[in-house]
Amino acid sequence: MRFVHTADWQLGMTRRILGARPPKEAGGLTGEAQARFAEARLDAVRALGQIADAQGAAFVLVCGDVFESNLVGPDVVARACEALGSFRTPVLLLPGNHDPADAACVLRRPDFVRRCPAHVRVLDTPGVHEIAPGVEVVAAPWRSKHPLTDLVGEQLAALEPAPAGTLRVLAGHGELDVLDPDDDEPARIRRDGVLAALADGRVHYAALGDRHSVWTDAVDDRIRHAGTPEVTDFDEVDPGHVLVVDLDERAARVTTETVGRWRFVRHDAALDTDADLDALDARLAALPDKERTAVRLALVGTLSLRQRSRLDDLLAGHGLAFAAVEVVEQHSDLATVPDDADLHELDLHGFAADAASELFAAAAPAEGTGDAESRDALRLLHRLVGSPR
Amino acid sequence: MRLHRIRLRDFRGVHDREVSLAEHGVTVLQGDNEVGKTSTLVALDLLFDAADSSRRAEIRAAQPAGVDAGPEVEAEVSTGPYRFVYRKRWLRRPRTELHVTAPAPEQLTGADAHARVAAILDETMDRALWRGLRVEQNSVVGQADLGGQDALTRALDRAASGPGASRADPSADDGLIERAAEELRRYRTPSGRATGELRAAEVRLADAEAEEVRCRAALEAVERDVAARDRLDADAAALKARKHAHTAEVTGLEDTWAALQSRLREVDAARQHAVLARERADAARERRETRDSLVAALEDDADTAARAAEAVAAHEAEHAGARDERDARRAADTAARARAGEARRAADAAERAVSAARDRAELADLSERLRRVDEAAAGLAAAERALAASTVDADDLDELEDLARDVVRAEAARDAAAARVELAVPADAGELTVVVDGETVVLAPGGSHTLPVAGSRALSLPGVLDVRVTPGLDDAGRDDAVRERSRALAEACEDLGVADLEAARAARRDAEDAARRADEHRAALARELAGHGDAPALRAARDAARTRLPDDGTSATSVDVTPVDVTSVDVTSVDVTSADVTELRAAADTARADAEDAAHRADEADAACRSAEDTVREADTRAAVLAERAAEARHAHTRRLEELDAARAAEPDATLAEAESTRLARARDAEREHEAMAAALADDDPDTVEARVLNARAVAERLAGEGARLEREHAETTGRLQAAGLAGWHDQLAAAELELDAAVREHAAVARRAAAARRLHETLTRHRERVRRSYVAPFRAQVERLARIVFGPSLALEIDEDLRITHRTLDGTTVPFGALSSGAQEQLGLCARLACAALVDPSEGVPVVIDDALGHSDPDRLSRLGAVFTAATSAHGAAQVVVLTCTPERYHGIGAATVVPLAPSRRPGERAASERSGPEVVRVAEDTPAATPGTVLDLPRAPRAG
Repeated sequence: MRFVHTADWQLGMTRRILGARPPKEAGGLTGEAQARFAEARLDAVRALGQIADAQGAAFVLVCGDVFESNLVGPDVVARACEALGSFRTPVLLLPGNHDPADAACVLRRPDFVRRCPAHVRVLDTPGVHEIAPGVEVVAAPWRSKHPLTDLVGEQLAALEPAPAGTLRVLAGHGELDVLDPDDDEPARIRRDGVLAALADGRVHYAALGDRHSVWTDAVDDRIRHAGTPEVTDFDEVDPGHVLVVDLDERAARVTTETVGRWRFVRHDAALDTDADLDALDARLAALPDKERTAVRLALVGTLSLRQRSRLDDLLAGHGLAFAAVEVVEQHSDLATVPDDADLHELDLHGFAADAASELFAAAAPAEGTGDAESRDALRLLHRLVGSPR
Repeated sequence: MRLHRIRLRDFRGVHDREVSLAEHGVTVLQGDNEVGKTSTLVALDLLFDAADSSRRAEIRAAQPAGVDAGPEVEAEVSTGPYRFVYRKRWLRRPRTELHVTAPAPEQLTGADAHARVAAILDETMDRALWRGLRVEQNSVVGQADLGGQDALTRALDRAASGPGASRADPSADDGLIERAAEELRRYRTPSGRATGELRAAEVRLADAEAEEVRCRAALEAVERDVAARDRLDADAAALKARKHAHTAEVTGLEDTWAALQSRLREVDAARQHAVLARERADAARERRETRDSLVAALEDDADTAARAAEAVAAHEAEHAGARDERDARRAADTAARARAGEARRAADAAERAVSAARDRAELADLSERLRRVDEAAAGLAAAERALAASTVDADDLDELEDLARDVVRAEAARDAAAARVELAVPADAGELTVVVDGETVVLAPGGSHTLPVAGSRALSLPGVLDVRVTPGLDDAGRDDAVRERSRALAEACEDLGVADLEAARAARRDAEDAARRADEHRAALARELAGHGDAPALRAARDAARTRLPDDGTSATSVDVTPVDVTSVDVTSVDVTSADVTELRAAADTARADAEDAAHRADEADAACRSAEDTVREADTRAAVLAERAAEARHAHTRRLEELDAARAAEPDATLAEAESTRLARARDAEREHEAMAAALADDDPDTVEARVLNARAVAERLAGEGARLEREHAETTGRLQAAGLAGWHDQLAAAELELDAAVREHAAVARRAAAARRLHETLTRHRERVRRSYVAPFRAQVERLARIVFGPSLALEIDEDLRITHRTLDGTTVPFGALSSGAQEQLGLCARLACAALVDPSEGVPVVIDDALGHSDPDRLSRLGAVFTAATSAHGAAQVVVLTCTPERYHGIGAATVVPLAPSRRPGERAASERSGPEVVRVAEDTPAATPGTVLDLPRAPRAG
């Protein structure tokens, strides 16, 4: 039996780094990059649907977080339904922590129910669901945002071993306790329980969601996270895939298919010399698919006024090509220290020279970090002197 | 920059004039109005500023009227290392030429030449200072804006830093500060408020925060609703359980309560039975008491009837007394009334007597007066007859008298002329009788009688002798006159009907008597008729009076009944006197008083009688009332008696008493039974049971209400959630968060830039102020040096960082610059400019141009200012000062001045009257040693180029 294991579509997600809607622009809620990013998430859904159709999968199992929130707008819901309708393979949607089956559940909302294609089934009630003869899915949907128990463990505990000839797939959502050993979180999935259920044949595959990176359990490779089909953050490991699972009662053969097209790249750089700036420039220039790439830079080092101006120009230039370029302040330690060359370059005399000297003295990092305002003032002076009279 | 010479051709009113200027010191260009002094300045500005293609208003204004030629200006200038001749013509065949002679020869034309000159001037001269040091015509010499003038700044910088420390500094300019200020203005207004980008960023941030808060609140509301829905579901389940448990409890309590209620009804029946028995006992008692009171009432009625009968009897005596009294009063009244009638009749009779007496008196009076009237009328008639008979009136008599006198005179005249016959009787003879002319004359013895002989006269002694005497002729004539006169007299008398004069006189006298009598009678008539008009009226009055009088006989008898004192008067007497009337009047008054008195007494008697009758009537009424009361009392007693008898017949007194006691005993029994049952019930505490039942019911109701509430809230929450799902709050919040993040970043960046701009501007300004403060001292020293020449050694000045004079101190008195007189401001402003010119490096200096200023300065100050000019320009390489004036005496005090008089430069056609010909050239320059400065040279006019 073949099915597609995926999760964390996070439809309706926006990313801060992709910027806000330009002020005064009429129309949608998001800017250009945001819109393309949202479109990419739908494209990923369509892509994985085509894979399922092409490979003859029995169903597509989405292990939670289909939507970014229960409160996404009707436009997000409508487009999601359109994407779901672009393929024929049955789809099973499990409510996760972002779209729990509470009173506001988007998967029960009238606008979703009305548009939802016939081959889509919502696993909003816990327990065993027969998908096809000989195929059952054990659903552990989230009923609220803050469950107080291990939902998967609860379902497994209530199960008898599967009847002979029946394949059971566990559909769960949440972190395994081995991945995030947080004792205070009661909803952690107990890995031991899952392993035991796999071992005694209550289920034959544990399809999990919530972790946006692909992950396979070291002990039993039938415990898997599929990861998100389209990247959502910089700290994700190898996102952008779906798992095509060929399952029998003993083992699962899993192939990884790539559907995501965006990249979130983080780059750490030390900037002290013009050569470092050159390297950064080259590095950014070398990145492919810039329009679908968001770059987060963590910069460390000390630059002169001139170098700092160059860095600003450089980043501004690349920012035009990339979906986003961001210097993350909390991971950066970039000092701008005016040097004598800066001072000479200004070529000031008289009181203006005196003023510049005072600002230099204030900006120098001799006493602690120096005065950011005076550095800004110096940079402004630099610009004003450089500009024509 | 130094100006060597300026040539104007066809520029405004100037046809062609060249002026050379002293290279150092003061040059005074003096000339009358409109000679073209100011045109020279304007021409210089245009030469340097306006391209030859320009058609600016100033250039069009510079074109001479009615001449087909473009204005042309040429100047020779040295500045910095350069020396050049620069010429421009506008409008007609525009042209620009530049001939640089030093440091390297250079020839340029057109736009290149213009650009080159601009470059040279920018390089070598402070053009702002050039304008700052100029004083325009007709403007008050105020303070020049000297702060920030590069050349001056550099000069002051040198002065402040000391010699040798000069910094070659082409870029320390004001532009930097201006650009910094401009940068700051992008973010903040001069007052410090955020504006432009910064304001927009702040607004965006505030909006984004508000939007984010709004969306977050909405989202949280949805989340609260989700939680509420869960809680509502749980509550509904719990409520269901509680309802179930409560239903069992209610059922048990209701059973108990039903049992208690039936017992309660029994107790209530017993209570009602007891109440009924008690009511019956009370009824029996009341019946017995009614009987007792009936008996008592009967006795009371008997008493009342007896008292009423007594009262009737007692009243009867009183009643009879009243009637007697009334009868007596009636008799008295009748008598009094009779008496009053008599008295009234007596009074009336007395009145009548008085009236009759008065009428009779009046009748007598009237009759008397009538008689007198008749007499008077008769007298009057007689007198009037006599009067009518008299024929002699006064005039007739006078005429007769006159005639008589004529006779006498005639006789006298006759007699005088006539012989007299004297008859004498001897004394011894006896009496002798003589008849003379028929008249007997008796002559006594001794007597004589003379007779005039006017006519013939006859004497006769009867018996004795007859003598006839006859006059002569003359005498006869006289006698004829007498006779004639006598005859006239006689005729007159005859006419009058009288015998002679005497008769006439007597007649006259009679007539007068008659007239007098007639007057007397008339007066008497008038007197008697006074009040009546005429005799018939009087007679009518008398007749009226007579008719008023009663017939004498009846009158006398009717008075018989009058009182005695009245009857004593004989009213019938015709001779009634007024005294009698008065007497009668007094009697009548007395009779009237008596009658009134009697009437009064009769009235009193009548009143008394009526009062007595009222009393009788009251007594009658009272008797009737008393009788009625007595009857009623009797009647009531009778009825009461019948009633009692009937009651006793129906129910004897003994039966009543027995029924009372029986029923009272029954009532007490019933009450005891009720109390016992009630006490038994109270032991089972029905109140508590009831309270619990009621409470249980209320709880059931409350549970039902709570269920309804839960259902309602559930429905509401569900509805809200459905609506919220379609609102897309997550998307909105995500967008709001993105916007907020962007706004925060933008605001931080803009704020940082704004802070940097402020910091830079502040730092630059502070340093410039510091430098300027250091500039103040040398500038002030130079200005004070010059100003002390004008104001004296006690002068001190305060100068701010912008090199403006703020205060002047003179003789210890400090005055703000603005409060100084126009003259003092003008003088200080001039000193400041000259000081500036003296301070600036000669290679960078610019000419100080003063266009006819110092109009506010008095002669003493003017002469001192002359010294200032000299002092400011005496140093080697000192500044060039050009003074334009039409009043040269203002500048006579400048010792070292070069004076250049200017005369009008007209076109050849215009100055046909002038002997001079050829172009006018004013040249003052050391390179023309032939001419001393200030002289006007006529040079051959060069042919026009182009």
